[in-house]
Amino acid sequence: MNEIREQYETTQFIVVKYGDEQFGVDIKYVDNIVRMQRITRVPKVQTYIKGVINLRGEVIPVLSLRLKMGLEDDTITKATRIIIIKLESGECIGVLVDEVKEVVTLENGAIEKVAYDSKDPRANFIFGVGKEKDGLISLLDISGTFAEKEA
Amino acid sequence: MDVTQYLEIFLDETKEHLQSLSDQFMILEQEPDNMDTINEIFRSAHTLKGMAGTMGYKRLQALTHDMENVFSEVRNNTIKVDSAMVDLLFQVLDALEEYTENIQNTTEEGTNDNEHLIKALNDYLANGGSGAPAPAAPVAEEAPAAAPAAAQAEDPAKEKWRDIKLGDTENAVLGEAVKQGKKCFGVSVYVQESCILKAARAFLVFKALEDIGEIIVSVPSAQDIEDERFEFDFSMIIITEADAETVKKAVLDVSEIEAAYVGEVEVKVPEAKEEVQVAQVEETVKADNGAQNAVAKQEKKPAGKPIVNRTVRVDIEKLDSLMNLVSELIIAKNSLVSTSSQEGMLTDTTFNEQIEYLESVTTNLHESVMKVRMVPIESVVQKFPKMIRDLSKKLDKKMTLYMSGEETELDRTVVDEIGDPLMHLLRNSADHGLESSQVRKERGKPEMGSIFLDAYQEGNNVIIEVRDDGNGIDVEAVKAKAIARGAITAEQAENMSDKDIIGLLFLPSFSTAKQVTDVSGRGVGLDVVKSKIESLSGEVDVRTKLGEGSTFIIRLPLTLAIIQALMVEVGGEKYAISLGSIQTLEDIDPSEIEHVQAKEVINLRGTVIPLIRLNEVLDIESTKSPDENLLVIIVKKGDKLAGLVVDELMGQQEIVIKSLGKYINKSKIISGATILGDGEIALILDTNALL
Repeated sequence: MNEIREQYETTQFIVVKYGDEQFGVDIKYVDNIVRMQRITRVPKVQTYIKGVINLRGEVIPVLSLRLKMGLEDDTITKATRIIIIKLESGECIGVLVDEVKEVVTLENGAIEKVAYDSKDPRANFIFGVGKEKDGLISLLDISGTFAEKEA
Repeated sequence: MDVTQYLEIFLDETKEHLQSLSDQFMILEQEPDNMDTINEIFRSAHTLKGMAGTMGYKRLQALTHDMENVFSEVRNNTIKVDSAMVDLLFQVLDALEEYTENIQNTTEEGTNDNEHLIKALNDYLANGGSGAPAPAAPVAEEAPAAAPAAAQAEDPAKEKWRDIKLGDTENAVLGEAVKQGKKCFGVSVYVQESCILKAARAFLVFKALEDIGEIIVSVPSAQDIEDERFEFDFSMIIITEADAETVKKAVLDVSEIEAAYVGEVEVKVPEAKEEVQVAQVEETVKADNGAQNAVAKQEKKPAGKPIVNRTVRVDIEKLDSLMNLVSELIIAKNSLVSTSSQEGMLTDTTFNEQIEYLESVTTNLHESVMKVRMVPIESVVQKFPKMIRDLSKKLDKKMTLYMSGEETELDRTVVDEIGDPLMHLLRNSADHGLESSQVRKERGKPEMGSIFLDAYQEGNNVIIEVRDDGNGIDVEAVKAKAIARGAITAEQAENMSDKDIIGLLFLPSFSTAKQVTDVSGRGVGLDVVKSKIESLSGEVDVRTKLGEGSTFIIRLPLTLAIIQALMVEVGGEKYAISLGSIQTLEDIDPSEIEHVQAKEVINLRGTVIPLIRLNEVLDIESTKSPDENLLVIIVKKGDKLAGLVVDELMGQQEIVIKSLGKYINKSKIISGATILGDGEIALILDTNALL
């Protein structure tokens, strides 16, 4: 019984785009989505950190997932958004995305887990692939992608 | 009843009392006859015992109880305080601290009975008290209070009312009552040990008994009972027309009463015996009065001396959120100010006045909130005298700690963190700094080594100095050690100044102590001190003279959250530099720049100052052309000076420091960020990291 119920339990994801690829962010981590604003550069930090923004009086670091995943640098367009993600530690970070598309609801049965592949660094950022009518969505592993800090 | 909800308060108060005990023991060691001190110790021990009992910590209770007994004797002048006793007391204190620590960590007090301490305390009682009329001798277990246990209880154990001594007035009253055909009962009431509001229960018992009769005398006294100065039982003599059963029932009707023992009092009036009894009674009364007076005195004390401030314990998180709100307010104010100063905006004078008014209100508000967060460093340093005393015994060196400026205030967060570094430095002074008594004598120094801990405010900083009159730092020894350790090469050592050599001491795992002792010298000291202080935006400096002693100087910012800063522009980006570190601003012609060891320096009024081009440090293009005059900010760190080259000056501003968060691996030169009036973010430069 439980297994079947689990199959039909659903999770909502915000679908964002990097180029043509779709990524899903579990909605429970998303605190806010803001338009592109002036980012203050912080010297001598991790290369993928774009800087900091002022979000209602709080200073929040903004990072580029593109740079972190080894893609080419972000090009800022009208569609560019900053997704504010609240980590489990309670800290907020902003993530640049090319475009926010929609919110989808996926049944657990429609999520295919991917095996950890140490050879492909990009595989470490996702915990699964969601199947949806418009195609596949790579589901971001929030704790794996953002929790640990690297030099 | 569940008492865990009181645990926090219990721990807080226990720590306060232990601290007070420690302080008083120190005084006692110097002045063994100081009655105020003895009373204070008695009172603390008594309160501790009561609290431990309420919380069900039996071992803690037993130990404090015995200590209290000893002091009850000291108070009655039947035992003299000597140094062996003070030593014992300190051991007891350590044991009590261990219990408390255990409770804090596990909510259990641990299983150490500390029997040897209890025995030692009781030995004092036995030896000291034997000659005297032995009031409250080894009653050990129960009610030590004022009840003298001279009467050999014929009916032992529970019927404690039999121990009650009656004065002649009471006897007369009882006699009169008997004549009137009333009965006199002795009542002993036992409150359940789990009872929290013992005093309230006792009050109800009193009330119930007063309904049916008249209470002639109670032990402990009614006042003591009201103040909860009793164990789990109390006794009284009442006159009533009711019978024993009614009395008993009246008492047992009060809830949380474990048991009541009622018995008829034989009223003795025979003339012959009276004299003996009166004599005895008088003695008791005296003792009793003594105790009463002492109690009365203690109670008056807090009222007379404003030592104990009226305070409210506030969760630090609530203060933080208040602080954040004030910060927001200041940002909002800054933004209003910047709007109003823009051209084309309102030039209405009332508008400006209102803004100025807002500015003064926010500044005051900010100051008040900051003050709330300020606590005297006393809470941290007060444990040091005892530590030094212990160290003195352990290291077998004679030393005294002199402290000043304990009232100096620092931000709460800083005070919480400063304890360990200070302790390290003091241990360091005691262990490495001071020579042994013998060496000191040979060197013509007083045998007693001195360690000083001085705190004072200097501008926007608080300075804490740890100074000793010991050996000082042997620069050559440090050098040799550093070379042996491979930290530096011999050639490097040649070129290093003494100051730089001493700086090596702050490297991780560097200890010059020839032997590793368990006090310090494992090489995990000074680097920890340094990193801790630096994490608090402070700095450590050392001054030393071989043979005369050394001084460690800790400099800490008064507040951490809001500072006055100079806003500058570098390569079009805005940065804030704390005003506290800025010496002067200079306008320098490029031709004045000279080169020393391929580094740019300027000669400013006879001082050679290295130049740091901020745009290079911050990886950005300067907006100025090379032939333009340079704007140089002269900053200082300790004795070091440096000139920071910036593009533009934007003026002075009060800024709210915001953290960049843990996520960014920020470089040391960025200490945080602030939000400007227009919502833009400016980074705060830590000039200390640049020097």
